[in-house]
Amino acid sequence: MMLKIHGLKKNYGNYRALAGLDLEIAEGTLYGLIGPNGAGKTTTIRIITGLLAPDDGTVHIAGIDARKRSRQIRSYIGYVPDYFGIYDNLKVWEYMEFFAACYGLEGLSARKRGLTLLEQVGLDGREDSYVDSLSRGMQQRLCLARALLHDPPLLVMDEPTAGLDPHTRLEFREIVRELNEQGKTILISSHLLSDLSELCTDIGIIDEGRMLLHGSVEELVNQVRTARPLVITFCDDPAAALPLLKDHPLVRTISMREREIMVGFTGSARQESELLAALTAQGIAVRGFMREPGSLEAVFMQLTKHDEEKVVLAYEDESGL
Amino acid sequence: MRMNPVYRREMMVSARSFRLALVMLVFNGILAMVALLNMYSTLARVRVTAEIQYSSFLQLYLFVATLEFVMVIFIMPALTAGSISGERERRTLELMLTTQLTPAQIVRGKLMSSCSTMALLIISSFPVLAMVFIYGGVTVGDMALLLLCYMISALFVGSLGICCSAIFKRSTLSTVAAYLATALITIGTYGINWLSGYVGRTATATYAGTAAVAYAGGVDAGMFAGSGRLGVLLLVNPITTFLSALPRVSGQVATFSGMESLRTREATVLLPSLPDSWVGCSMALQAGFALLCIFVAVRVLDPERKQIR
Repeated sequence: MMLKIHGLKKNYGNYRALAGLDLEIAEGTLYGLIGPNGAGKTTTIRIITGLLAPDDGTVHIAGIDARKRSRQIRSYIGYVPDYFGIYDNLKVWEYMEFFAACYGLEGLSARKRGLTLLEQVGLDGREDSYVDSLSRGMQQRLCLARALLHDPPLLVMDEPTAGLDPHTRLEFREIVRELNEQGKTILISSHLLSDLSELCTDIGIIDEGRMLLHGSVEELVNQVRTARPLVITFCDDPAAALPLLKDHPLVRTISMREREIMVGFTGSARQESELLAALTAQGIAVRGFMREPGSLEAVFMQLTKHDEEKVVLAYEDESGL
Repeated sequence: MRMNPVYRREMMVSARSFRLALVMLVFNGILAMVALLNMYSTLARVRVTAEIQYSSFLQLYLFVATLEFVMVIFIMPALTAGSISGERERRTLELMLTTQLTPAQIVRGKLMSSCSTMALLIISSFPVLAMVFIYGGVTVGDMALLLLCYMISALFVGSLGICCSAIFKRSTLSTVAAYLATALITIGTYGINWLSGYVGRTATATYAGTAAVAYAGGVDAGMFAGSGRLGVLLLVNPITTFLSALPRVSGQVATFSGMESLRTREATVLLPSLPDSWVGCSMALQAGFALLCIFVAVRVLDPERKQIR
C-alpha cells in the first residue's frame, strides 16, 4: 500500500475539517479525491505532504509513519498545489536547479534531471525563459516537473487544473496519465468530476471530513444505482400502469410526464425485471424500461446530499401520491 | 560543504538585480559626500587659521562611522522583514517545506543572504572610512572592532526582522513590526532608562532633601543616567554598544553618558565589572538575542508545530 490513512482528525478551532478520515491507495493507482468545498480535501493533502499536523490519526507512506519520520517521507512525495508557486525573477532552468538543490541534487545530475523533466512536460526549449513569461499552462507544467525532480513514487496534486483552459487541461491530463503508466502512484483532487471520471482508476468521495464512498468509477455508480429512477416509457396512456406502481412495495416515488413515468424504485435488477413482467402481464404496452443513466456527478451530488431534492423530492411533488 | 540552496538563490537573484547596485551607489554616495564635505570644511579652516587640528579628522571618522551605523540599523530590517513573508505571499514557502530543506535551513539561508548584502555595503564603504588613514589616528584593529560592531548589530536587527517575517503573514505588517521592534530596542531602552532615572532622581530629591545623589562615578548623570538596575537594559541596545566602542577607536576617553547610569551604586553592586566590559558583554548578549530570534522563526515555520498560513 503506497498511502494508508487511518482515523485522521483535524479541527480548526471549533470547525471540524476532518472527522476520522480513512483512505488507502495501492501502488500504481491513479486516485481521484472529490468532495464539495470544505469537505477536507486540501486539509488531507496538506497533512499527507507534511505541511500540517493532524490532531489525531495516522498517515503511512510506503509503510513509513509520516509523523514520526516526516523528513524521510518527503523524498517519497511530489507535491503539486492548486497554485503555481514560482519565482518570477528566475529562469526556468534556475528554478529547476534551485528545487533540485532543495532535494539534495546538485551539479550535472541535477541539470540532466531537470532537462529530462522539462522535455517530459513539453517545456524543452524554454529553459532560458523567465518563469513569469510562461503561460499559466506552462507554469503548471513547470510545477509538475518540479514535483518530479527527486523521482517520488507518490505524486500528490491538489486541484492542479484549476484555472486552466480546456485544451491545457487535456494536455495536463495526458501527462498525468503517462506518469501513472510509468508507475507513479497519483493522488489528485479536483472539482472537475468529468476529468477524474475519465482519468482515475479509483475515486474517493469525501464530505464533512469523512470518506463517504470509494472504489472504481463503475463500482461507485453501481453502488448508488437504486437512487437513480427507473424510466418507463409506454406506447399508450401511462395512467393504466399507476395502480400497479402505487401498490408495489418497492416503489417510493412516481412522476408522470406525457408517456413516461419515472419511478423511484429501490429493488434489485431481478426485481426490476419482475416489475416489467407484471406490467406486461396486465396488457400494458411498455416501449422502454431502463434506469436513468448514472454518472460520477450524480453519485457525487447524491452522496454529498446536494442533489437529493432535485433527484427524488421533485418527483414526489409531481407524483401526487 | 554544500551551499545552502536558499542562500545561493538569493545571492544569484540579488547579484542580477539592479536594486543592489543602486543601494550600493546611494549608500556609498551619501557616505562619500558627507566625508568629502566634512574634509573640505576642515581643510578650508586650515587655510584660514593656518593650524592643522588632527582631532578634526578623527571627528570626521566618528561622524562617517556613526552615519554608516545609522544606515545599517535602518537598512537591515528592510532587507530581512519581507524575506519569509515574501515567500509566503508568493506561496513558495510551502513548496520549500515539502522538500528536504528544514525550516532552520530556510531561515539561515535568508539571514545569511541579508547579512551578506549588508557586509557588502559595509566593506564597500571602507575606502571612505579609510580616508582618515591619510592623517593617522585610527588603527586597523580599531576598524576591525568597528566592523565587528556593525556585523553584530546587523545580525541582531536582521534576526529581529527575520523573526517578524516568520510570524507575520504580510510583508507590510512584518516590516512595520520589524521597525517597531528595532525602535523598541534602540529608542525604547533609552526611554525606559531615562524615565526610570527621572523617577529615581525625583524620589531621592524629595525624600533625602538633596539633589546631590551619590553616583559612584561622581559624574553628571545626564539625561540617561540614574536608572540603576534598569541601566542593564541598554546592553541590548546596539546604539549603546556602538557609542561605547567609538571612543576607543578614536582614542578618546569614554564620554558616553549612558555608561554613567551603570555606575550608580545599584548597578555597580549588581555587576561591578560591567562598565569596563560593556562592549564585549553587549555584543555577546545581542548575538544571543539574535540566536533566540532565529530559534523562534524556525519554530514558527515548522509545520509540525504550527499551520503555515
